[in-house]
Amino acid sequence: MPAALDPPSDESLLTRYRNGDKASFEVLYARHRLGLYRFLVSLSNKAELAEEVFQETWLSLIRSTTQPQGRASFRTWLFQIARNRLIDHWRKHGVHNPLHDSYDEQLHVQPDDTNSPEQQLSLSRDQARLDAALQALPEDQREVFLLRLHGDLELPQIAALTGAPLETVKSRLRYAQQKLHRLLAEEVPA
Amino acid sequence: MIDSKHIPDPDDERLIEHFRQHASGEPPASLDAFILATARREAPTPTPSLWQRWLQACQRPRWQMAFATVAGVALMIGLVLRSTVPHDELSSPASMELSADRQAPAVAAAPPPAMPAPAPITRMAPQGELARAPASPMQSLVEKPAAKMSKSAPAAQPSLEQGLLEILRLREAGESKAADEKLLALHKRFPKEDLPARLEALQKR
Repeated sequence: MPAALDPPSDESLLTRYRNGDKASFEVLYARHRLGLYRFLVSLSNKAELAEEVFQETWLSLIRSTTQPQGRASFRTWLFQIARNRLIDHWRKHGVHNPLHDSYDEQLHVQPDDTNSPEQQLSLSRDQARLDAALQALPEDQREVFLLRLHGDLELPQIAALTGAPLETVKSRLRYAQQKLHRLLAEEVPA
Repeated sequence: MIDSKHIPDPDDERLIEHFRQHASGEPPASLDAFILATARREAPTPTPSLWQRWLQACQRPRWQMAFATVAGVALMIGLVLRSTVPHDELSSPASMELSADRQAPAVAAAPPPAMPAPAPITRMAPQGELARAPASPMQSLVEKPAAKMSKSAPAAQPSLEQGLLEILRLREAGESKAADEKLLALHKRFPKEDLPARLEALQKR
């Protein structure tokens, strides 16, 4: 049973906004603006394009009268709208959609020995190196990792959003994390 | 099949957390302002409650007319129904008796000024009716229902003058016995009247 002071859910805030409560939208926007923006910037790797898609996503939500369907959460719904808008933009401008590339994870697997107890490693905190590591990931792995990172989505939600089988999503996330560990690992001086 | 119970690897969670801690970049303030302003401007109008909708409907002239008409009709029906109740009581002999019986003790206990004033009645009444001035409040009460009933059945009780004329007619016809019986009946109805004197006056006229 939820406590009386529990914050309202995203879905109830959206419903309240649809019923004319303007303040509910501001709460909803404050909750998701950073995650959505960072997801778009990292996925498109272009700030201007990310801003454009970010704006279109929120305006679409403002002008739409629909609600998240079925068991989909508001967060999944929001990120799906944004992802679809980005794919539409790529199509419209004749850009090859990198998310539709088939990628054989097995070919890119490299031994991951970062967890070995003999080697104490820390992760780089250099922002440029973090960004570079993300961009070094294959697109579909990066997408899954970014949805997990910025959208805080569970794997089944990511599978539903991307339309990929759950096992594929799991393996993409696993390979992405292995690669990131490898790229960011720094040996701790003894 | 969706495996909803995904148990994250602690090491992977550490990686995610590491990225979250070092994530940067946020939408420009102008973009925030534009989206929030659009949201405020294009927010759906609040759906009024049932009570508010009813009030709004009442404020429209068309509905005001309708409500006024309904109220007027209801008022008229109420008035008509209220005014028909006494007529019903009067037209029913049983209720008339009942009302007379009910009124009798109350009116008898009431002071004389509360009684219906007989004077205007006698003034308006024909000459023959003058003698019908009630001798007592009780008598007037007894006569009142009869008078009311006479409105609905006028030929039920002949007036004093008619009775006297009938007696004269019977005497002229030689039916003195019938005339005497009629006189006796009239005397019972009007005990205070000097019937022989009135008969004589009528005969002279």
